[in-house]
Amino acid sequence: MTHPTDHDTVPTRPLISQPRMSMRMRSNLWVWCFLAIPLVFYVVIRFYPTFNAFWLSLTDWDLMSDAEFIGFENYRDMFADDDFWKTFWNTFEYLIYGTPTSLVIAFVIAYYLDKVRFAHNFLRALYFMPYITTAAAMAWVWRWFYQPAPTGLINGVLGEVGIGQIEFLKSTTWALPSIMVTAIWAGLGFQIIIFMAGLRAIPDTYYEAARMDGLGEWAILRKITLPLLKPTMVFLVVFISIAFLRIFDQVYNMTTNDPGGPLGSTKPLVLMIYQTAFSSYDMGQAAAQTVVLFTILLVVSLLQLWVLRERT
Amino acid sequence: MATITLDKLTKRFGRTEVIHGIDLAIADGEFVVFVGPSGCGKSTTLRMIAGLEEVSGGQIRIGDRVVNELDPKSRNIAMVFQNYAIYPHMTVRQNIGIGLYTSKLDKDEKARRVEEAAKLLGLEPFLERRPAALSGGQRQRVAMGRAMVRDPVAFLFDEPLSNLDAQLRAQMRIEIKALHQRLGSTIAYVTHDQVEAMTMADRIVVMRDGHILQQGRPMDIYSNPVDVFTARFIGTPSMNILAGGIEGDAPVARKGGPILLGVRPQDLLIGSAAGQVADTSGLTLWGPVTAVEPTGPETLVHFDVDGETVIGTAPGDEIPEVGARIEARAPAGAIHRFDASTKKALEPS
Repeated sequence: MTHPTDHDTVPTRPLISQPRMSMRMRSNLWVWCFLAIPLVFYVVIRFYPTFNAFWLSLTDWDLMSDAEFIGFENYRDMFADDDFWKTFWNTFEYLIYGTPTSLVIAFVIAYYLDKVRFAHNFLRALYFMPYITTAAAMAWVWRWFYQPAPTGLINGVLGEVGIGQIEFLKSTTWALPSIMVTAIWAGLGFQIIIFMAGLRAIPDTYYEAARMDGLGEWAILRKITLPLLKPTMVFLVVFISIAFLRIFDQVYNMTTNDPGGPLGSTKPLVLMIYQTAFSSYDMGQAAAQTVVLFTILLVVSLLQLWVLRERT
Repeated sequence: MATITLDKLTKRFGRTEVIHGIDLAIADGEFVVFVGPSGCGKSTTLRMIAGLEEVSGGQIRIGDRVVNELDPKSRNIAMVFQNYAIYPHMTVRQNIGIGLYTSKLDKDEKARRVEEAAKLLGLEPFLERRPAALSGGQRQRVAMGRAMVRDPVAFLFDEPLSNLDAQLRAQMRIEIKALHQRLGSTIAYVTHDQVEAMTMADRIVVMRDGHILQQGRPMDIYSNPVDVFTARFIGTPSMNILAGGIEGDAPVARKGGPILLGVRPQDLLIGSAAGQVADTSGLTLWGPVTAVEPTGPETLVHFDVDGETVIGTAPGDEIPEVGARIEARAPAGAIHRFDASTKKALEPS
């Protein structure tokens, strides 16, 4: 092959024409094209209603008439209402007992499941199953478990061993823990998978080196596994906390006849908001409750991130 | 310090036997390097010595004690891993200190030992740093520090320099060697890099497919390889192997010849250097140059002999043209002879 020379008859012009936009601009254009869809969605469907809720909480809107500005009256009413405080503390009970219990159980299962080779995938799928099951369906199954004998499985077993019947969902003492157990069980699958991914990410040589240095199982767990799982834990603590603060499905489905349990003993904030908005149609009041929930979520999440922050 | 003895050591994974009854005696204070290609069983052997892999058959003795069933910690040996295995959430001080976790020494003594190890390894300025703030070489030193503080009877190194760049690797080779001379400890070191083996070892153990092919001092293995594999594995560039025969007194390269002739590129001289080989009983090869690699002090010349590529050496300032026909000569003493079918060395060459 010969190289083109000055005498070639082919007109000499650059083979590739210079693009109009710089490479940086072109790639930015693409990025924004793809980002536009979720961005528009979030702004219209999520952010706008969120900010609107702040405004609504200062009005007396009831769906029918126009919203009228009433200042902080909704908040004053809410804070003076005993039912609100009952619901407020219920929500924190779910959070305070539910989060650490979930975390410990999920970790223990993940820790041992990680060591099991026999039927590993089957067991993992079994634990994950509740997570992909509809909350309503699960809640109804558990609801049956909690019935009095002979319908209720648990009371049936208690009866067999000679222990008195427990009125799980009808007792002001037991209703909340009973629902919490269901909620914990429903979330475990996801948390176990996350913990296992965290455990898998720790190189085997860390454990081998520790064994050579003579650390026992307990010391390895305390000195190596747990500290290295910290990012996983931070994520899960925040994730589980938000889930418990927003608990609704289980409560709504397990105490349908009397949503919120006997004397409101199981009612969380979200259920209260739902009832205020869609039973009482008091949108202003519901918006005020939403703002309170939003504030709690924000404060709790920020607090956890701060407490569990990486210290250097 | 202690000796390490392997006696008909066997390892099976399921039904597959990967180590086929190897015997080896590592003397007290000796630096032994296991070398071989990936999957030859060198790391598995080291891990069995460490106690991280179960022994399927045979015996491992450290000193006079059979350690087959002992936990890693009860063997009192330390290991340095390829990825260092230093903990990212601990400072250098804590990482080195964890080597003394089970030690019954008092707190001050432990601190003193950590300081001492850090000083020896030049890590003193970094004691309060986390591994993320260290370079690869410094991390490697932390791993060595953790191994040292415990004062173990032997050190095991599993490809410790593989993750370092070439320059740092050369530096760490010297440091590990110097450390061995200073501590006088028994070391078993695994690598696939024959340069590391040659430069550091008191004794090299060449492994392949779960067998020990040859063991001996580096220069003995280099000069007298027992088979074609070892001959080509040790030394860089690899030894040239050509079919050939003996005619009269002199070896001759010939396709389909009854024996294999081996000659190291450093011994196969080209250009003005070839003229210095006066010896007529040596090997002479001719062929067209296919590639040249000037390295500075010398030029590696690739040329073609009956369809086989052969590498020879020309002086640094002589760079032959590609395509030029050249003559290469090696003295008789530099020719290794191997059996063409068994690939074993015919006699000490």
